[in-house]
Amino acid sequence: MNGEFVAYCVINALAVLAIAPLYMSLIKKVKAWTQGRQGPSPFQTYANLAKLFRKEVIYSPNSSRVTRVAPSITLAAILVAALFVPLAYVPAPVGGIGNIILFLYLFALARFFMALTGLDAGSPFGGMGSSREMSLAAVIEPVTIIVFAALAFVFASLNIFDMFVISAASAFPVTPTLILLAISLFIILIVETARIPIDNPETHLELTMIHEGMILELSGKNLALMELAAAVKFTVLSALLINLVLPFGLVTTFSVAGVLAALLLFLIKGAVLSGIVGIFESSMAKMRFFRLPSLFVMAFFFSTLTIIIEVFA
Amino acid sequence: MMDAALVESIIRILFAGVIITAAYIISTRNLLSLVSVYALQSATLVGIALCLYTIEGAVVLLGIALVTFASKVLIIPYFIATIQERIRIKRDIEFHYLNPTTSLFLSMALMLVIYMALSSIMPNVSGKPTLFFFGAVVGLSLVLMGMMVTFSRKRAITKVLGYLTMENGVLLFGMFVTELPFIIEFLIVIDLIILVILTAILTVGIDSTLEEYHNRLHRFYLWEGTEDVP
Amino acid sequence: MVPFLLSAALLVLVIGILAPLAAAGRDMRSVRILSLACTALSSLALAAASLIVLLDGDPVTIFLCQPTPAIGIVFSLDRLAAFFTLLIAGISGCVAVYSVEYFDHLSGNGRRNVLCGAMNLFILAMVLVVASATTVSFVFFWELMAASSFFLVMYEYANGETRRAGVFYFIMTQLSTLFVFLGIIALFAGTGSFAISPIILSSSPLILPAFLALFTGFSIKAGIIPFHKWLPYAHPASPSPISALMSGVMLKVAVYGLIRFLLDVFAPEFWWGVLILAAGTVSAVLGIIYALKEHDIKGMLACSSIENVGIIFIGIGLSVILNALNLPALATLSLLGALFHSLNHALFKSLLFLSSGSVVHATHTRDIEHMGGLARRMPYTSALFFIGAAAIAALPPLNGFVSELMIFVAMFSSIPLVDPFVKVLLFVTLALFALTSALSAACFVKAFGSVFLALPRSPESEDATEVSSLMIVGPAILAAGCIILGIFSFQIFSLAGFNLPLPDMFLVGVLLCGTTVLVYGFLYFTTPHAHRVSPTWGCGASAQKPGSEYTGFGFSEPIVTIFSSVYRTKKKNVRHFYDAKECLFSDGIAGIDLIKVFEEYLYIPIAKAACRTSAAIARFQNGCLDTYLLYVFVTVVAIIVFLGWSA
Repeated sequence: MNGEFVAYCVINALAVLAIAPLYMSLIKKVKAWTQGRQGPSPFQTYANLAKLFRKEVIYSPNSSRVTRVAPSITLAAILVAALFVPLAYVPAPVGGIGNIILFLYLFALARFFMALTGLDAGSPFGGMGSSREMSLAAVIEPVTIIVFAALAFVFASLNIFDMFVISAASAFPVTPTLILLAISLFIILIVETARIPIDNPETHLELTMIHEGMILELSGKNLALMELAAAVKFTVLSALLINLVLPFGLVTTFSVAGVLAALLLFLIKGAVLSGIVGIFESSMAKMRFFRLPSLFVMAFFFSTLTIIIEVFA
Repeated sequence: MMDAALVESIIRILFAGVIITAAYIISTRNLLSLVSVYALQSATLVGIALCLYTIEGAVVLLGIALVTFASKVLIIPYFIATIQERIRIKRDIEFHYLNPTTSLFLSMALMLVIYMALSSIMPNVSGKPTLFFFGAVVGLSLVLMGMMVTFSRKRAITKVLGYLTMENGVLLFGMFVTELPFIIEFLIVIDLIILVILTAILTVGIDSTLEEYHNRLHRFYLWEGTEDVP
Repeated sequence: MVPFLLSAALLVLVIGILAPLAAAGRDMRSVRILSLACTALSSLALAAASLIVLLDGDPVTIFLCQPTPAIGIVFSLDRLAAFFTLLIAGISGCVAVYSVEYFDHLSGNGRRNVLCGAMNLFILAMVLVVASATTVSFVFFWELMAASSFFLVMYEYANGETRRAGVFYFIMTQLSTLFVFLGIIALFAGTGSFAISPIILSSSPLILPAFLALFTGFSIKAGIIPFHKWLPYAHPASPSPISALMSGVMLKVAVYGLIRFLLDVFAPEFWWGVLILAAGTVSAVLGIIYALKEHDIKGMLACSSIENVGIIFIGIGLSVILNALNLPALATLSLLGALFHSLNHALFKSLLFLSSGSVVHATHTRDIEHMGGLARRMPYTSALFFIGAAAIAALPPLNGFVSELMIFVAMFSSIPLVDPFVKVLLFVTLALFALTSALSAACFVKAFGSVFLALPRSPESEDATEVSSLMIVGPAILAAGCIILGIFSFQIFSLAGFNLPLPDMFLVGVLLCGTTVLVYGFLYFTTPHAHRVSPTWGCGASAQKPGSEYTGFGFSEPIVTIFSSVYRTKKKNVRHFYDAKECLFSDGIAGIDLIKVFEEYLYIPIAKAACRTSAAIARFQNGCLDTYLLYVFVTVVAIIVFLGWSA
């Protein structure tokens, strides 16, 4: 592990942490606009998090050590996963960092802890949330792995860093396969970050909530950590989508000005994607839970089709 | 002439679009969006025909595009939309033999089977540009997927759409494999038939399954009338 | 050095067998401790011997006896055998440590001594199966392993359920031996040799039947669907250390048999690999789907063993396919994945069985719906179970993830290199494999959540206390193994001479720990520490009751609904009336039962057919002297006719 890579890790993690809450508020803003409301300020999520970090923490008498350590581990796992997806500057990968399967399983690690937190307090809502979360995660997993296998097939590499380098180097990166993969990745983004039509991130209604259900019993800084983890997860998955499909601006050699410019460019691209997600969410209603598997089968069909076209045609 | 490689890649995306619309027609429960998806599918076919024209330059492709656009993107969807305005049914949630999930998996398997079958039947085609071969595979798959809709859905209107999808498949297969003028004729004939069926449905209304539809025909003395003709 | 260590270990094991059997009449704790100490000691010696062979790479051969020139009892320890010996030794050592105190809690006085002796016999048989260099000794010790494990399963024979499970297990295990035996006879007929060595005349028509028979035999023993039914019966019925040994180790002996014969004897064809891959995939998916439905904690672990053996078979099948397609590097990666998963599964499954044994001991129930809240009452056991659950759910950086990653990488990397139809096969397998792995995460969230978190759901769980120290030390060694094998996987493989395209899990582990510490530390120093304990909101009820918690059944309900076509249910509605017109209702039964598909459509029809056939044959044996005289007469006439016409 050389100094350059350490620098990359620190910069990438900090950049993700800094950007992530912005996108959350942007989505809310876009949704508010489509509903004809003013909406919160784009910096509202920062204020919310800062307030939560200052508040006292309330634990349930039933809760064990899991509630006390899981939020930190969840955020840590997602942050390590964030190291796998360079936002602006792609260094040479070190020690297999960037392996796409490991990336997927780091999310699984975070989800495992989050689901246990949901069960820890003994509240029926938490159990409901984690049960649904684990079931949906299980059903979407084949889709994700097929999409990732297709990515590995198209870019002839298992490493996200190599994929980014290839896509940044090609003059005309947008191929038909990549467009199809981008749509599949968008579906995965929606499912993994628990947005409409999978889950409604804004309600606390027991019939609909999945992600909110799991973190219902958390408070103070634990809640802040979980919300931050969700925001970072959104940013990381968007970065994967953006840098594969629209990689222009991505730099592969280090220079302060270049990296800053690339970061700025990413910030704009990410903001556009958040806007698209916001509009997408506004145009849909939350789906009934047991209808979701057929949506996933549709996504599976879609990603398989990509592969069939890539392999056979 | 545009860059052939670019056009080919566009055609591939359109193929994917065609199959996705077919998958949607197979699996959706929402009747209202069915027609627009069908129109989208037909529009995709128009796009494919136009792209093919830029490669091959056969004027007949333009003709196909024109006829398809007029009949399947405009007229037929308009008719069905009119019907849907009159009836109050918005959902088709009954399935025969196959549920949507199974039929999606089945159609994936079918595509593979067709690929295997065609690659053994038509070695001369698989030697040609893969695009044409793949077009044939997609066309046949579309026919079979449409057929699956006709037997796995209960509402008459969905059955009609399945039938229309089948016919789109025939068109696609025709564009890529067989002789063209014959196909156009065939296509227009089928379209006319469908239009006749549609108008018949229009007069009777189809807020019912096909079995009930028979009864209704009986009640309006439409069925006996046709049967009496030897 | 290695022969000496080996013979010393076997000798110590024999002492461990004989000593408690000699004292079977009386209940003597000291004899049990002696016997289990022998197990632990011999495990150490075996582990040392196999480590030497693994690192040196030179096979070691020991001749025991040679009654005839063709049939010999020869043991040999090459790297493959050494790997599995290490596995057996490691697990049985930890199980022995755990058993010292666990056996004290069992009922049945002097029988506990017999249990110790039989357990050592079982371990001895497994070591010798793995070390066998001839098919004769292989099948002999295979049968010894089967018989001794039957006695272990039948320990609590007073219980009717156990007797049923034991008999079921006995029949299945004998079927397995039968098929292995048939395979070995076919091999002998095809090659004329009892040695486990490559076949020279590969054109013999008996090769294929030999492979199929051996594959069936090993599949039955390994619990591959549709031969899996004995696992969910036998594992819950036997004492926990025995379940740990059977699930952790004995299944791996079957895996060893398959790998040994595939590598050393046959020259596998492409479709053999497809067969193994398909069997593995089906087992993996259905195994975990069945596990989600189990509410008996040990039954759940047994079903999850089916899944993991399925994953191992996926690795083996993939390696056979890739070898047949001339991709040796990826084939090696996949086979190493299968081997590593065998070791990992042995570690975390015995860890889970042992810690669930502690839980069952503390709560006096195996039903997870009656547990809960144990994390606060049994902190060490819960931590150990957690490590096992995280490892089996394939969470990085633990070992279960690494072996699954190896198989994933082999699949991902081979997809661009093979022809379209193998690609399709690989994509299908890949999707199902990913589904399996995600479902197992769901399954173990459910298990850990229902057993250890939230409120206790029964008075016994309310009063549960932590188990004694040795019952923590044994599993703790296994847990440490899970962590070390995961984090240092890259280094271990480099040490063994394999340079694999894997991420360095040590780096990932350091990053994960470092980030966690950073996040925690940052918050510790920058945010206030104020915290308060306040009851969970009970939806308006004055006090939160355990009944309002999400149960394990509720947890798996969405998955059961989504996969309802796999779990076939049968609705039963029987009503009785007082009158003929069916107006006055007297009584009735209604219920929804899960159909045990394989049991009802495969096992019972076969059993019934077997019963009918044997009933037909039994008619010849009617006990009447005249009938037997008639048989003799008919036979004599037949012989005369035969001789007369054939000459």
